[in-house]
Amino acid sequence: MDKRIIYPTDDGGVAVIVPAPNCGLTIEQIAEKDVPTGKEYQIVDVADIPSDRTFRDAWEYL
Amino acid sequence: MSTLKTGKVKTTTIADELDTESTAVTNVINGSAKAWINFNGSTDAILSSFNVTSLTNVGTGRHTINFTTAFNDTNYCVVTGNNDFSGDSGLRTTGVDNSTSKTTSSVSISTKYNSSGATGTLIDYSVQNGVVVFN
Repeated sequence: MDKRIIYPTDDGGVAVIVPAPNCGLTIEQIAEKDVPTGKEYQIVDVADIPSDRTFRDAWEYL
Repeated sequence: MSTLKTGKVKTTTIADELDTESTAVTNVINGSAKAWINFNGSTDAILSSFNVTSLTNVGTGRHTINFTTAFNDTNYCVVTGNNDFSGDSGLRTTGVDNSTSKTTSSVSISTKYNSSGATGTLIDYSVQNGVVVFN
């Protein structure tokens, strides 16, 4: 699946959800299930997630 | 050899073909992993998994495994491990993240690298991280 789900963490960072292959759920269903209740989220392309994690903990949710 | 196709077989013991070894079905049920995942800690690629819908990267060295079917309680057993890395001069460990409570639907783990001191540093560097859950 070439999509990811992102949501803001409580400490001001951003969490990235990676769907498990063949889990049988759509990206929307995974978002409804695995994003913490009450959190806003976005479904984005894999290419939108930086591959360089040098400053991973400085990522912010926009 | 014959093939049996049915929805459910109820029995107390199963045995091998020659009936030389057998075990109680409860051993099979309780001894089977109820969820597992093998993932790359530096790219978050899920290499293989069972009973897992997704992996959440929460920050450096911190991941949450989200189960497809939730457990009845949080007393399930979590076994973790990771691959060694040829460049390591110290100890790399993966374990349940003590900063996040286990829930019936997910468990959070952290990976740390301890080069020499007593306190490890969170790290994404593990090539493969394994998490197995028994209940």
